[in-house]
Amino acid sequence: MRSSDALEPTKSERRRAEREAANETGVWYPKGYWKRFATPGTLWMVLFFVVPFYVIVSVAFGTVDPVFRSPLPVYQPWWWSFDAAAEAVGKIFGPFRQSYIRTFVFVVLASSMCLVLGYAVAYYVSRFGGRRRTLFLVLLISPFWISYLMRMLAWRSLLTNDGYVNDFLSFMHLPAVGWLEGEPVTVVLGLVYGYIPYMILPLYGFLDRIDSALLEAGRDLGASPSQTFWKVTLPLSKPAIAAALVIVSLPMFGDYYTNNMLSNSPRTVMIGNILDDAVNTSGQGPEAAVFTLVLMTMLLIPMLYYLRSTARELARR
Amino acid sequence: MAHPHERRSGGGLDRREFLLRSLGAAVALPSASAILAACAKPGEGGTGSAGAVGTGGVDLGGPYPIPTADSPVTWTIYDDVPPIADGLKVEEGATLQIYNWDQYIWKKQVEKFCEKHGADYKITTFQNMDEALTKIRTGELKFDIFFPTSDTFGKLISSKLLQPLNHSYIPHLEENVWPQLVNPYYDQGSLYSVPYAVYTTGIAYRRNVISDEQIYGMSNPYDILWDPAHKGRSGVYDSYRDTMSMSLLHLGNENVNTDKQEDIDAVEADLLDLIDKVDVRYSINGAYKLLPENQYDVHLSWSGDIAAGWFYVSKDTAYEDLGYWFPEDRRGMIGNDTMAIPTNAEHPVLAHEFLNFMLSFPAAMDNFAWVGYQPPQNEAQPSTLTTTESVWGEPYIWPWMEAAVVRKEDFERGLPQWELTPDVDDMWHDAWQNFRAGAK
Amino acid sequence: MSAPTTTRTPGRAPTRPGTPPERARQSWFRDPWRKPRVLETITWAYLAWSLLPVMLAIFMSFSSGRSNSTFQSPLTLQYWVGTGFEGDDQSLFRDPDLRSAIRQTFTLSFATMALAVPLGVAFAIGLDRWRGRPAKGANFLMLMSFVVPEIILGVTALYVVLYLFKFIPLGTPAQIMALVTFQMSYPVIIVRARLLSIGKEYEEAAMDLGAPPKQSITRVLLPLLMPAILASFAIVFADTIDDFVTVAYLSGAAESQTLSMKIYTQTRGAPTPAVNAAATFMLISTTFVIALGYLAYRRLSRGQSDAGVGGLASQV
Repeated sequence: MRSSDALEPTKSERRRAEREAANETGVWYPKGYWKRFATPGTLWMVLFFVVPFYVIVSVAFGTVDPVFRSPLPVYQPWWWSFDAAAEAVGKIFGPFRQSYIRTFVFVVLASSMCLVLGYAVAYYVSRFGGRRRTLFLVLLISPFWISYLMRMLAWRSLLTNDGYVNDFLSFMHLPAVGWLEGEPVTVVLGLVYGYIPYMILPLYGFLDRIDSALLEAGRDLGASPSQTFWKVTLPLSKPAIAAALVIVSLPMFGDYYTNNMLSNSPRTVMIGNILDDAVNTSGQGPEAAVFTLVLMTMLLIPMLYYLRSTARELARR
Repeated sequence: MAHPHERRSGGGLDRREFLLRSLGAAVALPSASAILAACAKPGEGGTGSAGAVGTGGVDLGGPYPIPTADSPVTWTIYDDVPPIADGLKVEEGATLQIYNWDQYIWKKQVEKFCEKHGADYKITTFQNMDEALTKIRTGELKFDIFFPTSDTFGKLISSKLLQPLNHSYIPHLEENVWPQLVNPYYDQGSLYSVPYAVYTTGIAYRRNVISDEQIYGMSNPYDILWDPAHKGRSGVYDSYRDTMSMSLLHLGNENVNTDKQEDIDAVEADLLDLIDKVDVRYSINGAYKLLPENQYDVHLSWSGDIAAGWFYVSKDTAYEDLGYWFPEDRRGMIGNDTMAIPTNAEHPVLAHEFLNFMLSFPAAMDNFAWVGYQPPQNEAQPSTLTTTESVWGEPYIWPWMEAAVVRKEDFERGLPQWELTPDVDDMWHDAWQNFRAGAK
Repeated sequence: MSAPTTTRTPGRAPTRPGTPPERARQSWFRDPWRKPRVLETITWAYLAWSLLPVMLAIFMSFSSGRSNSTFQSPLTLQYWVGTGFEGDDQSLFRDPDLRSAIRQTFTLSFATMALAVPLGVAFAIGLDRWRGRPAKGANFLMLMSFVVPEIILGVTALYVVLYLFKFIPLGTPAQIMALVTFQMSYPVIIVRARLLSIGKEYEEAAMDLGAPPKQSITRVLLPLLMPAILASFAIVFADTIDDFVTVAYLSGAAESQTLSMKIYTQTRGAPTPAVNAAATFMLISTTFVIALGYLAYRRLSRGQSDAGVGGLASQV
C-alpha cells in the first residue's frame, strides 16, 4: 500500500496519478524498472565473461616475457603480432592434426553411443515408466549430482589390472585387458559414461511432452508400434535430438580430465589436453590463447544452434 | 616485531619491478591504466646484461649466465633483496608454507620440526617445474620454502624470486653436506640454496620380467624402453628434460644440454618411435607407484623413486621384483634438488631453521627412509646404505638395486642437466609438446 | 506391412482383459501392447552400469587395505575418521590436507550460492520483462556462459585474473568470481521457466489493488518464485561442490584446493581409499542439499501443475 509516511508524493504515486488521469489501466512499472534488475547481472557478465575473451585475444596476439616466457598481453590492437598465432594454427594442421581428428572421432563415436542408448532409455521411461517413473527419474538425474570425478574414479578403480573388471574377465576365462594402458576404447566409453545423462534428460523431457494425440492418431490409422515410432515419434524428435547431441558433444571437446584419469597416453590425446598442456607450459601462453580461440570458433556454430533452438523452445511454451 | 626485510607490500612487486626496469614505464599502475597505457610495447627494452645477474658461467646472450660444471656461477646479491639479519628470533605461531613436489618430503619430519618451534605447516604441491615457476612468478603466493631443481636458478635469481641465505642460521650445511655440493657449480657458495637430495636417472624394471643379466648385458640398455616385447608396459616421465635427455643418451649423444636443432629433431623422432613401438605412456608416479603395482614392466626412473617403490607393491609383487639400472661407468644423468627461500616468505627465520633441521643427519636420514631420495650427508657412507637399517628396519636401499646409491665421485663422471636459455628451452618444449600430442 | 497373423503359439503369454481374441493369439513379439521387455532390460542395464561402479567406490572407502581397486575386509572407518593405513593419518577427517579441502569446498559453495542466486534471480526477472536488443544480448551472454566448455571458462578466467584484474588474487577470490560467472545461468534458466508458467496475472491483480511496484514484487512475485529460487540455491550449491576445471585453474596455494582437486591429483598419483571417502563425502553433501531443495520445492509448489520431480526435470 502507500508509503504513507512521506509527506511528498513518491515518484510511483505521482506516476500512478498521471496514469489514472490518462485512464490507463493494466500492469505498469516505471520506465527502466526492469533494466535495474538486470543490470548487476549484465555488468557481471560483461566484466567477467566478455572482458576475459578480450584478454585472451590480447594474449594470443601479444608477446612473451624474455626470461620466464610468461605471456604478456598486448591490449592495443595496433601492436598485435600475429606470428605466434600463425605458428599455433600451423601446428594444428601439422603435428597436432592427428589429435584434433582423433578428438572429432572420439566425440562422434561417444555422442552416437550416447544417442542410441540414451534415446532407448528416455523412450522407455517416458512412455512405459508408469508408476515407477519417479524412481527412474531420480536414478537418471542422480549422475548430475554425483561428481564427474567420482564416477571416473570409480571406473578407474574397476579397470586397473588387478581390478574387478579384469577379475570378472578371467572368471569367464577371457584374457585380461590392459584397460588403462592408453586404450582409446576406454576413453570413448569413459566419455559416454560421463556425459550420457546430458542426453537422456532433454530427450526424456521432449518425449514426455509429445502430444499423445499424435501417437494415437498413428495407431488409429493402423500403424504398428514400430511404424509409429519410425514415422511419427522419431521425426518429431529431430530437433530435440539435434539439441541433445550438441549439449552432449560440446563438453566433450573441452574434456581433458577423462583422458588424464583413464589413459594418460599420447595415443588418446584430445584437444582439451593440448590446450591444458599449453596453458601450463612456460612460453606457450600465446599458443594456449590461440588454441582457446580456435576451439571457440569451432564450437561457435553448434553453440549458436543450441541457443537458438532453446530460445525457440522457450518461446513456444 | 619488525619484518626482517622491512619491506614493501607483498608479491607482485617483484615482477612489477622487473618490468619497470625493462619498460621504463609505470606498469605498476592499477590495471585500468594498464589497458590505456600507451607506453612502450610490452616485452621490449633491455633486461640488463647477463653479467648483472651472476658472475661466471657461460654467457649465451640470454638474460642470465648459464652455470655449467666447468663454468660455475656466483649469483649476485641484490641490494634490494638482502639476506635477513643475524641473530633474529623465530617467528611465533607461524604456519610454515612449503611448496614442493608431491610426496617429496616426509610429513612426520615437518611435524617434528614444527613441534620444536611451536609452528604449524602447510604443503602445497606442484606437478612440474613449469607450473611451480608460473605460480611463484605471480608473487601472490607467499611460500617459505621452495624446492627448485638445480637448473632454474638463472630464471629465479634474475627475477629476484629467491632471497639470499644467511649461513649463520645453517651451520649444518658446512658440517654435514658433501663439499662439492656446499659449493655447487649452479650456486657457488650456496648463496641462495642448500642441497636437498641427490639422484641419478636410470631405468626401473621388474626383475621378474627382465633379469638383471639381460638388462646389464645389453649394449644399449636404454633400448629396453623401446622393446616391443613390453608393448603397453613401458613408460617415461612426464618431464621434458628427463625424458628427452634419456633419448639423447639412447641415441649416443652425451650432450644432455644440447642447443642444436638437429639433436632435438632426432630426439623428437626417437620419442615418436617410442609411441609406435611400445604405446608408451607418461606419468610422474610411474616408477615409484605404478611399476610396483604391476602396471608397467619398465619405466624411466629417478633413483629415489624406485628406492621408495617397496611402499606400493601390489599383492603379487615382492620387494625383490624391483630393480634399477644405471650405466656401470656412471656416465648417466645425475642431479640434485635444492631447497631455497622465496623473497616474499613471511617467516624467513623459521625457514632458515627448517633448512638447518633438514640438513641435520638424523632428520635427513629419516626423510631418506620415507622419500627414497638420498641426502648428500657426509656421515652416510654410500657403501653402507644397502646394509644399514633405517627407521623402518629395512636397508635404505635394497641390495639388489645397488645402482641406486649415489656417490660423491658420481658427480665427476655423471652428466648433470644445466639450465637452458629461453629460446633453447622453447625448442625443447616444442619438441616435447609434439611428443605429448602423439604428433606425426 | 502384413496384417496380423492368427497363428496359435504354444505357451503364449496370457491375454489381457479386454484384448481382442485375435491379438491374444499373436506371439509376444507382435503384440502392439506388449510389455517393452527389450527396452526395459536396456534401461535397467543402463541404470546398473551407471550406478553400480559408484556404489562400489563408496563401498571401497571402507576397505582395510591400501589399494582402492581391490577390497580388503574387514570393513573399517580408518579412511574416514581413523588413522588411515598404518597410522599415517591419511583419513578424510584427520589428514590436514583433506580437511582443508573440505573447508574450501564448502566455502566456495556457500559463497558462490550467496552471490550467484541473487544475481541470477534479479537477472531473470529483469530479462523476462525488459525488451529490446540489450536484453537479448544479455540473455545471449548468459546462455553462452552455460554452454561453453568449462576449460575455456577456466583459461579465460585465469588469464584475466593474472594479467588484467590483478587485484583479484589467485585462489578463493578468483575461484568465486569464475564460479559465479557461469553458475549464474542456473538460477536464470530455472527462474525464467517458472516466470513463464506464472504469467503476469498475479502482479496485475496486486497492482489493481493499489500496490506500488516494489511491493508487488516482494509480496507477490518473489513468494511465487520461491520454489524456483530454492531449487536454484540447491542446484548451484551442489554443482559448485562438484566443480573441478574452474577451481583447478584458478587455485593458488594449498588452502584453495578443493576436494575435487584432491580427488583428481590423488587418482593420478597414489590413491588410497581416503580418496573414495572424500568422494563419498562430497556425494552425501550434494545428495543432502538436493534433497532439501527438492523438499522445499515440493512444499512450496503444492497444488501447482509443475510440482514434483517431473516438473523439475522438464524445466531443466
